[in-house]
This record gives sequence, structure tokens and C-alpha cells, in this order.
Amino acid sequence: MQEQFGQKNQSFEFTGSGWEYFKIWIVNLLLTIVTLGIYSAWAKVRRLQYFYRNTRLDGGSFDFHGTPQAILKGRLIAFGLLIGYNAAFEYDPMIGLGVAALLALVMPWLLMRSLRFKLYNSSYRGLRFGFAGSTGDSYRAFLLYPLLAMFTLYLLAPLAHQRIKRYQFDNSRFGNASFSFGAPVKGFYILYLSSLAVMLGSVLLAVALAMMMGSGAAGAAGIISGLMLAGPFIMLVMLVAMLVVGSLFSAYMQNLVWGSTTLGPHRIFSHVSARRLLWVRVSNFIGIVLTLGLFMPFAAVRMARLQIEAMGLAVSGDLSGFVADQQLNATAAGEETAEMFDVDISF
Amino acid sequence: MSTSPSDASIEVAAAYYDGQTTASRAVQLSIDGGDLLLHSDALELRWPLGEVHVSERLGNTPRLLTYSGGGHCEVNDQAGLGRLLAQVGAGRSWLDSLQHSLPWALAAMALMLIIFAAAYKYLLPWGAEELAMRVPASMLQKMGDSTLETMDEYLLEPSTLDEARQQALRDAYAGLRTPADAQLKYDIIFRSSPMGANAFALPNGTIVMLDGLVELAQDDNEILAVLAHERGHVERRHAMRMVLQSSVVGLALAWYVGDVSSLLATAPAIIMQAKYSRDMEREADVYAEQTMRANGLSPCLLGTILDKMEAAYLAKVKEKHPEAGAAKDDSAMDYLSSHPATKERMRLMCPGN
Repeated sequence: MQEQFGQKNQSFEFTGSGWEYFKIWIVNLLLTIVTLGIYSAWAKVRRLQYFYRNTRLDGGSFDFHGTPQAILKGRLIAFGLLIGYNAAFEYDPMIGLGVAALLALVMPWLLMRSLRFKLYNSSYRGLRFGFAGSTGDSYRAFLLYPLLAMFTLYLLAPLAHQRIKRYQFDNSRFGNASFSFGAPVKGFYILYLSSLAVMLGSVLLAVALAMMMGSGAAGAAGIISGLMLAGPFIMLVMLVAMLVVGSLFSAYMQNLVWGSTTLGPHRIFSHVSARRLLWVRVSNFIGIVLTLGLFMPFAAVRMARLQIEAMGLAVSGDLSGFVADQQLNATAAGEETAEMFDVDISF
Repeated sequence: MSTSPSDASIEVAAAYYDGQTTASRAVQLSIDGGDLLLHSDALELRWPLGEVHVSERLGNTPRLLTYSGGGHCEVNDQAGLGRLLAQVGAGRSWLDSLQHSLPWALAAMALMLIIFAAAYKYLLPWGAEELAMRVPASMLQKMGDSTLETMDEYLLEPSTLDEARQQALRDAYAGLRTPADAQLKYDIIFRSSPMGANAFALPNGTIVMLDGLVELAQDDNEILAVLAHERGHVERRHAMRMVLQSSVVGLALAWYVGDVSSLLATAPAIIMQAKYSRDMEREADVYAEQTMRANGLSPCLLGTILDKMEAAYLAKVKEKHPEAGAAKDDSAMDYLSSHPATKERMRLMCPGN
């Protein structure tokens, strides 16, 4: 290894453009419609490749290697599960509950396979990422902790969230180097509780304001018109609060999770600005409404630029020292069964 | 450069990665016979062209030349690589051309618009009808029973009409000749509800008649007109078709806007479903008109009773919200927005009037 004191910050770059992606997006959308959705798997590969290859770090770009066939398989499985689930509930709620329980039992395993698929098919500078999480741990993260959260009236929800993130990050690999997740449970609780406090505060404020408006007018008519105004007004305040709190939450969550993660000797940093995230979200929303959805590819590029360019690596030495992990590659690609169950259930 | 100018060989700068480490090495790519030649001061590699996979062009993203024996090159010089590939006769695929041209993007947009419009206007109503007409009677019976059960629990109260009056209306309805062979067992049940003057049909042929409507009608033939209209809804399987059509519209919109926002997906869905609802009202009107004529009754009776229902509804709205005033008077309220304007319906059914 080189000496450790040569540390410099290397930011991610995103070089995608809205117009360029629009052309790819619209053609793929048309092909998806014409093929009744089958082509969506090919479209997804193109979308991921466009975003991965436009993400650059220290002169090298990322790449996505997943095959459309695996994605199509995953989508068919997800579609089948959805249909079966709904049909079962339609037929008999008891059978429906049984199917739901069965789904909950299979889900952690599917999510684990899905993570493995996603990471193994991602690469940077010719080296694959990987995922080494065990099946047992996936059940703890995706089933046990969420259940614990449910049975404690969501008091343990932040803990469950932290465990899921820890499972995802701690088990990720790049070549033979490991990611290491350091975000404490405390950080999740602070974020959840402050978001909840702001949300509750704004609702209380809205109700108080609505009551003041109602009592301003005299008589029964005044109270009725006050109440009629209060409903939409409270809804409006809730909507604005949800947008603001949602943006704050997403920005701080990204910063917390990525900012506490290291890859080998290198530390990852993330400084997304909540104010800019809010602006991008609101303007994207308006753009999408005004263009009946045609702004969506531009919106995706803007969001990716904001989130990716806010991140980087505090590089210790340089980035050329990673070495491929022969064992991980062998287990992820070599076996026939691995190929068989390589699914991607995310959309 | 060591080669002479007469040599047509093109060189393209690339970054070479061996797939074992992340070390990046700058190389020049060129074609030499049947091989792709990678060379720099420190290394020279030959990859047989047949074993090199060239990634498709995706905007201005770097293109990757992957060797099946391990290792790949990342090329940022799009134009240079294009010339290099042209040298070995590798052309652009049709998809490549489609994805990178503005005219094609606009054409795709126009085509999509046409497909969406055609599916919305013709394909979906047609498909839903074909499917709905094949739903077995036993399933319709089950749907009707469960709907009535839910409504009885939350919305409806027992009727206050006396039994003789109920029976008289039942008999009148049973005596009605219908244009087509009826497929379902039709009966009327009487309920009362704060909803006021209304009647609605359940998928199994049961028509729920609210006391308000019976009180509002001066002539029993007016009630028969409403019953014929409701029967049209059942015969044409409107409830089932509406469920099918609106769920497809909802799914398509949810897919299109995807994760952007559920609000963005539901608002247009409601607007789009309103058209289907209006179309079905017109269809039921036509059925009612035919039924009335077949029984020697004037189709104008439906118009008369609809007018009264609208007036009663407006009076009720005014009573509840006196401050709403004149703004609510035009027929664009929530109840009627899913129905065609009453005036238009009357004009169609009863042109002499």
C-alpha cells in the first residue's frame, strides 16, 4: 500500500443531459407500449446503463451489466405474485391472509437475491461490485425488525430502518474491498423524531389558524364557512409540510447513510442540500404536470445530478488499488442455479 | 505518430482496464487485420475482432469494448470510435438511430399519443364490453349481493312506502315489455336514504328504488322510465365495464407517472373515467327510449323525471349551503359531471318537445 496521508476529495460527476435522455426514453416507452410491456425490461437496462455510464469518478465511469432476460423474469414473478395476491383476497380473505403471510416469508429472500443481482451487475473501472449478505441476516433485516417495529407501534421503526441499511451497506463489496456502514441508530431516531415534530407542529398550526379564521365571522354562517375553509386549508398546509419535511428527510437520510460509509480505506461523503432537493422536487412536479409527463426524463436527470454530484470519495492514496474478488465472482456468476434465481424485482 | 500518412489506419484514445484491478492505462486503439490493437509505451495487446463486444451508443456515455478473454476499454471519443468501427464495416443499428434522433423522438411521441387516444376511446371500451358480457350470472349475483349488503349497512334505510304501493310498482315493472331478451332476473327493492330522489341498478338486475323518487314522480310511468334506464345499465353490464375500464386507466396512469406521485396518477384518472360514465348514461338512455316505445309510452317521460330529480338535487344543495348561491346553478356539479347534461339528453330522446 501507498502512504496513507495523501488524501484528496474526489467528487462524483454526472454528465447526463435531459434532451439526450428524453430521446432514449420516448423511443423505449413507445416500444414498451407496442410490445405490451415486454420491452420494459430492455428499456430498464438502457435506462440504468445511461445513468450508470454518465456517473463518473476520477475519470472512470460506472456500468450496468444486467441482462433484460433476468429483469423480465423478475417482473413476471412480481406480476404473478401481485395477481395471485389480489385474486386470493377476492376469493376468500382468509386465503388472502395466508398468501400475504407466505409472501412476507419469501420477500426477504427475494430482496437478498435482488440486491445480489443489482450489485453484481454493477461495475466501475472494470471491477464488479458484489453482495455477500446471508439469507439469515436478510430475514432479520427485512422481516424480524419490521415486525418488531409493527408490534411496538413503530417506536422501533428507526431501528428497523437502520438495520435494513446496515444489512445493505455492510454486505456490499467492490472487488475484494468491503463497504463498512457506520451510521448509528441514534442518527435515525433524531431524523425520524424531528421530522415527526415538524409535521405535527405544522398541522397544529394549521388547525389553530383555521379556528381563528372561523371565529372571525359572526353567527352560525361564520362557523360553517370557517369549517368549510378549514378542510382544504389544513390539507394545503399538510401538503406543503409533507413536501418540505419529505425533502429534508430524504436529503438528511442520504447524507447520514452514505456519509457514514467507508469503502476500504476511502471514506464516502454526501452533502445533499435539502433546500435544493426541495426546489428540484417542486419544479419537477410542476414541469411534469404542465407537460403531461413529458418532462419526466428531464426530471430524472435533474434529480440524479443533484443526488450524485453531492457525493464523493475522500480518497486515501489513489483508486487504482482495488483487486477483483475471485471467490465472489465465482459464486455469483458460475453456478447454474445462481443464474436461475438471479432476479430483479425492483422497478 | 510512427505510421505514414498514406496508412489509412485510424487511432482512438481509450482507457484500458484488465478486469483484475482498477488501474487505468491510457492506450491507443487501432484495427490491424482481424484484430483490435491496443498499444501504449508499456503494453501491446491484440484482441480478435470476433471476440470484442462493442456496447451500443447511449447518448454521450462512454462506449465499452469488452474482450471475452477479460478486460475492457472505455472510449469517450464517440466520433473517432465511429470511424474506427466503420473501417470494419460495423454500422449503426436501427435502434441506435431511433434513440438518438429528434425527429424520431417526436414521431414516437405522436405515435404514442395516437395509441393512447385509440386505446382510451375504442380499444378499452370494446375489450371491457366483450369481457363483461361473458361474466357468468352467478358472479353478477354475488357482486350484486355484496354491494347491497355494504350499502344496507352504511347508506340505506328501510323503505317507508306501504306494501300495496310497493307491490303496485313491482307489478307495473313486471308488465313492462323489453326490447331484448332479458338475461337476468329483475326485481325492485325499496329503500330510503338521505341521498333523496334516486334509483340505481346492481349488477345482478336488482334495482334499488329510493322513496324520494317515488314521492317525486307524479305519474307511475315516469318511474317506469327511470326503471327502464336503470335496466339498460344492467343489460349493458355497465357496472362491470366501469370496474374494468377504470382499473385499466388507473393502472396505465400509475405505470406512466410511476413513482412521481400518486396524486398525479389519480386526478387525471377521475377525469378520464367521467367520459366513460357519460357514455354509459347515454347508452342506458337509448335502452330506456326503446323500452318506452315498445310499451307505447312516451320517451319524454324520462326527461320529465330527470328534470325533477335535478331540480330536487339543486334545491337540496342550496338548502345545505345557502352561501353557495348561483355558482352552483349551472349543471356542472359533482353528481352531474358524470352524467351528460339533462337538456342534451332530453333533446336526443324527445326531439319533438
